[in-house]
Amino acid sequence: MDSALKTPAASPPIPGKTPAATESGDLGAPLYVAWQITNECNLACLHCIEESGPGKAFRDELTRDQVFAVLEQMLEQEVPYMSFSGGEPMVHPLFFEMVDYVCARGAELKIETNGHYLTPENCARMKALGVKAVQVSLDGASAATFNRMRVRGNFDVAVEGVRNLRAAGVPIEVNFSPTKFNVHEIGACVDMAWELGAYSFYSGRTMYTGNAVKAWRHVAPSEEQYVVFFDALRAKTDEYRGRMRVYFHEMGLLEELRYRLHHPAALLIVLPNGLVKLINALPFVCGDLRKESLADIWANFQRAWQDPRVAKFVEDLAHDPRKTAALHQWVYL
Amino acid sequence: MRLAKYVKFREEKFGGVLFETRSEKVFTLNPVATAVVREIVAGHAAPEIVRRLTERFRDPDHAIQKEAEAFIAELRAKGLAED
Repeated sequence: MDSALKTPAASPPIPGKTPAATESGDLGAPLYVAWQITNECNLACLHCIEESGPGKAFRDELTRDQVFAVLEQMLEQEVPYMSFSGGEPMVHPLFFEMVDYVCARGAELKIETNGHYLTPENCARMKALGVKAVQVSLDGASAATFNRMRVRGNFDVAVEGVRNLRAAGVPIEVNFSPTKFNVHEIGACVDMAWELGAYSFYSGRTMYTGNAVKAWRHVAPSEEQYVVFFDALRAKTDEYRGRMRVYFHEMGLLEELRYRLHHPAALLIVLPNGLVKLINALPFVCGDLRKESLADIWANFQRAWQDPRVAKFVEDLAHDPRKTAALHQWVYL
Repeated sequence: MRLAKYVKFREEKFGGVLFETRSEKVFTLNPVATAVVREIVAGHAAPEIVRRLTERFRDPDHAIQKEAEAFIAELRAKGLAED
């Protein structure tokens, strides 16, 4: 008989937004659904891969009935783990209703937020509803770097939000996006995350897409900076081992996509209008939750990864890394 | 026994999966392991789980018993289940 318990098939480290490392082919449904519930955001961050910002909600974002019909399908299919992100998910008018709907049915839910709506009341509410964790983006250990990157953002408000999470007893994760002007603070930011009570810290490489395309020369770290950055993260991983998980994705985008061509993760990315993407870093859409069932989309997800256009796009990236600038020009498979 | 707080279980055609959502690790389960987890979810204690499985399935050479006991020990060691 096979070994009873085994970790997923050997796989390289994967980015923070794709925790389900298990290969998806034999599964009846995704293990993880990452849902960008709105593209609206109170901030206009320089590096935002979704091009979110004030007034940037999609015109065709899901209606109330569609939102709950989608959630119902996910819960019926026993998707065990979901995340709500954006945009800023907490500006969605149905945010707490959606959180309640998921948590009351026993699925685990993570919120990915910029931290600006983490009032004591909202944190207490999330705790009461049973949110698994709240991931807050803290791209710097000082107001100078954070506020430069998070246009309209306020470092002190975000940090206070994390403190409110801790006071409410909500598990905390911190995410850090590197730029040329904040990488030197990575060590201090990991320390700050620990002091604020985080149990996980995530980072990786900043992608050339979304808002970052226009701001690239202002934000992109050099390869030399990345070397120092990842060395610092390795040291912090050792320093905090057993206390806080420092998790970072050093692999380049091309390497990851080549791996994913043969090992799709058990993860669906849902856009605010119900379209389902193969993976954030590709423009390909494999379904529309407004028109198709989750089961059908999951089946198409497996087929879509085999579509020759996907492999061609990935290989073209080897010659032209800037193709990722077109990730929002969706290609339907 | 019961599954640890952040552990989710889902049955699959090949058996099942356990998803530890805090560490974000997924474990695939063969049919025996799946049967064990099903009993844990039902709230049975470890000795009872082994007894129930060996009563339900023919196990003349005690292979199922040994595998179930080893699996339960592994679940405890990994913090995926608790008494």
